[in-house]
Amino acid sequence: MKNITTYSLLFLFALGLSNCKKETLEDKVFQVNKVKLYPSASSKIKEKSESQWVAVLYTNLFQQALSAGDIYRAGQCITSIGDKELAREVIISNFMNSTSPLPQIPTDASMRANIDEFVKETYERFLIRRPTEGEKEYFRNEITNDPLRSAEIVFFSFALSNEYLFY
Amino acid sequence: MKRREFIKKATLTSAGALIAPYILPSGRLFAPTGTQIAPHVVLVMYAGGIRNQETVDQLYLSQSQHTWNPIPALNVTGNIMPNMLAGAAPASKIVYGTGTSGNTPIAPILSTPMQSQGVLFKEVNAVAAGHYGGSIALLQGNTNLAQPLLERPKTPTVFEFLRKHGGYKATDAWFIGNSLQNSVPLYNHSSHEDYGAQYGANMFIPNVTFGNQGDQFLKDAKIYHPQNELSPMYKMKYFLDNSYASLTSNNVLDVVENTEAEKQQIKTFMKTMFQKKAAGTTIRPPQGGNDAATVGYALEVMKEFTPAVTVIKIDGPDVCHSDFTGYLRAIHAADHAMGYMWNYIQTQIPAMAGETIFIATPDCGRNLNPNPILDTENNFRAFDHSDANTRRVFTLMAGKTIGNEVDKATGPISSSSPLNTDAAITTGHILGIEQEMLNSGFLHPQSQSLIRKI
Repeated sequence: MKNITTYSLLFLFALGLSNCKKETLEDKVFQVNKVKLYPSASSKIKEKSESQWVAVLYTNLFQQALSAGDIYRAGQCITSIGDKELAREVIISNFMNSTSPLPQIPTDASMRANIDEFVKETYERFLIRRPTEGEKEYFRNEITNDPLRSAEIVFFSFALSNEYLFY
Repeated sequence: MKRREFIKKATLTSAGALIAPYILPSGRLFAPTGTQIAPHVVLVMYAGGIRNQETVDQLYLSQSQHTWNPIPALNVTGNIMPNMLAGAAPASKIVYGTGTSGNTPIAPILSTPMQSQGVLFKEVNAVAAGHYGGSIALLQGNTNLAQPLLERPKTPTVFEFLRKHGGYKATDAWFIGNSLQNSVPLYNHSSHEDYGAQYGANMFIPNVTFGNQGDQFLKDAKIYHPQNELSPMYKMKYFLDNSYASLTSNNVLDVVENTEAEKQQIKTFMKTMFQKKAAGTTIRPPQGGNDAATVGYALEVMKEFTPAVTVIKIDGPDVCHSDFTGYLRAIHAADHAMGYMWNYIQTQIPAMAGETIFIATPDCGRNLNPNPILDTENNFRAFDHSDANTRRVFTLMAGKTIGNEVDKATGPISSSSPLNTDAAITTGHILGIEQEMLNSGFLHPQSQSLIRKI
């Protein structure tokens, strides 16, 4: 009888342990789709340094990192020119002209095949956010109404934008 | 609409209606009150801390070395700046030239030295004893004791005065620096909230812009088609900028406001410079190192843009902290570069020939007494810059309307001596904004155009 009581108590204790697991967020089922959250443009208030801007630009365009020494030297190029926007413009076009490595830019055909997706991906790539409906509409019109509008020129405008200077 | 909002809007509308008829086509509110004395000024920060003893006093080794080592061979005087100053060269112990031991002086380019063409203010009071404070004092027309290194000048530079009050466009104002060191890349505009980048000067630091760094990151830039490619690119950029500006209030950017046409001209100029560099055809004085290259690129800028104001920073003589022989050679080479530049302007840049006024003044002087360092070549004593002798500098002017005059300000430095900060108001006076600069309240209280002291 004593053994039965002991085993019963042990069984109940073990059962209690197994049920005493802390509930985590992953255990909950909210029955909504997972979404990736992006910051809004208004939360970007810190200006990138010249080196930071170059490093991020290179990664965005080539999908690989620039060496620390090259980041420093490219930053010096911007410092050495009075009109910083012009300096950035020249560096972007220098990267666009690179043959090794090649900048990772969608073809114009793939851009026009799904303009909305291209606009969304471009906003996510450069500005780390989704476009508003108004922004989507603007770029859809720009690309649709101008047959000469290339993905490179659209990328260029994002890389040169003021928002791209902030994080 | 609420009553308060209505009153505010009505007031703004009335003010706009009153002001609008007076806005000039250039976007400025008022026309400058002065008239131009000359359309172009070249201001040279000459040249990184130099003593009057070795320059305008023409004492060569006698008061730098002989005083401390009284052997007869060092008791030599003479002029080592034959393009800028009138006077006979040293007769012996020649170490300031080129070739073996520097025994071959560079032949003068100008048949008449600039002192004999214009006017020399011989004893000018340098308001700061350091390079940064001294250099930006020349640009601001003032000195600011609270000015830290590695920060923009706190009060407006002459570039900003000219662009804001004189209506000069961005490519009318250029600063050509010789290095990224010592805050030099911060000279082209101040951080003042009423002036700043939008009124700043264009700038190159040629040994970086067109040096190895530029070769790697700037040289291969595409020149896009202005209408088919750049115009839509800017259009989309401005849309993105407006979207961002509507969401944030801290959108302060360090951008000199070149027009799109000016930007295109600068980008084309840069492309040409890389091509000329590859072909070995960039303008350059025949002798000298980085200072000569800096002056050469400044001439390229003058040839392309014919700016209203070009400020050039050179500082080879600053090796004087540890190398007096190198200091003498750098002063001599800088003089050669000035002779080459003045001759080039007069003979190769028709738009500026006869229409330019040249001003050269040091950022600061150097000490009376040497430091303990002896240079390796001649055992000459070296000099730093911090004592009263550092206050002694000069200003040399020549060019349009500046006739030859006897030397001015020849007495000892006193409270009534000209200041080296007078370079700023003199530049403003020449370019027609003297009164606007004086009225700004930012200049040194004793600042006066040197033109008025001739």
